[in-house]
Amino acid sequence: MYRKEMKEKDKNIEHQFGNPKIEPPFRVPEGYFETFADRLKARIEEEEHHVIKRSVFFYLKPVLSMAASIALIILLVNAPIRKFLSPEKVDLAVQQSNNDSSGSNNSISEDLLSYLSEDQFLSAVTDMDNLEPRTLSADNLAHYIAADYNDYEIITEN
Amino acid sequence: MDLNEKELIANLKSVEKREKAFQLLVKTYQERLYWHIRKIVMNHDDADDILQNVYIKVWRNVDGFREDSSIFTWLFRIATNESLTHLQKQRRHSVISMNEITDSLAESLETDVYFEGSEIEKKLQLAIIQLPDKQRIVFNMKYFDEMKYEEMSEILNTSVGALKASFHFAVKKIEDFLKEDLK
Repeated sequence: MYRKEMKEKDKNIEHQFGNPKIEPPFRVPEGYFETFADRLKARIEEEEHHVIKRSVFFYLKPVLSMAASIALIILLVNAPIRKFLSPEKVDLAVQQSNNDSSGSNNSISEDLLSYLSEDQFLSAVTDMDNLEPRTLSADNLAHYIAADYNDYEIITEN
Repeated sequence: MDLNEKELIANLKSVEKREKAFQLLVKTYQERLYWHIRKIVMNHDDADDILQNVYIKVWRNVDGFREDSSIFTWLFRIATNESLTHLQKQRRHSVISMNEITDSLAESLETDVYFEGSEIEKKLQLAIIQLPDKQRIVFNMKYFDEMKYEEMSEILNTSVGALKASFHFAVKKIEDFLKEDLK
C-alpha cells in the first residue's frame, strides 16, 4: 500500500512540475568549465609550494628560536653591566692597563697594591708609629730621592 | 568497473602518468560534479570552491582509493560530503538560526546573477531549499540527475528503502510549499 502510494506520488510530480527532466535553472560564467582545469592546476601547484616553504620553516623554527633566545639573554645581561661600568670608568681602566710600567706613579702604586693584601697594607700604615725610627743618613736620603719612591713604596719597604 | 576505468585508476596511481590521468578525470566529471554541488549550496562561488576542494582531495588521496566502488561514486561521495560540510560550517560560524540559514539560501537564490529560471522554476528551487540538507540532496539526485536508487545508496551510504522514503517525503513537502504559495 505504501509503495503504491509512493508510485502515485512520483507520477504526481510529472503532472505538477511538467517534464520531470527539468534542468536546474542555473548558469555558469562564460568559459567556466573550459578554464576550470587550468585554475585547478594553478591552485594545486600553489598549495604544494606553500607546503614546501612551510616544511623548511618548520625545521628552522627551533634553531631560530634558540638563537633569538640567546641574543635576548646577551642583551638583557649586557645592558646593565655596561650601565654599571660607566664609559668614563671603562675608558680609564683601559687607559691604565695600556700604560707603561715606568710611566705614571699611579700605575706603579696600583701594581703594588695588587700585590699587597689589605691586612698587610693596614698593618703597614697602623704600625708606622711603632716603627723604629730609622737612622736617616745622607746616603739613605739620597737613595730615596734618586729612586723616586712614592709613599706606598716607602711604607712597605722593610 | 570497466576496463577504461581500471586503466584510469592505474594511471592515477602511477607517478609518471598521474598528471595526464588527473586532467582526464577533471574533464570527464567536472560538469556533473559541479551541478551536483551547485544544487546543494545554491551559490556559484561556493560551488566553484567546493569543486576545487574535491579534486584537490582526490589528487592527494588517490593512492588510498580502495577501488571498492567506481571512481564516479567515489568522486560523488567526496563532493556530497564536502558540500554538507560547507553547509554545516556556515551554520557553526554564524549565530543565526536554522530558519535564517534557509532564508539566507533563498536570498542567495533571489540575488544570484547566474540564476536564469522562470518564476515557477524559482518557486520550485525555493521549495527545495526548505528541505533538510540530506533530503534536498536525495531529491536533486533523483529528480534532476535521474540517478538510480542503488547508485544513490552507494554514494550516500544509505539504504535504498531509506532513500525512497526520503524522496517521498521531499516530494510531499515541496507540494505543500507550492500549494501554500499559491494561496
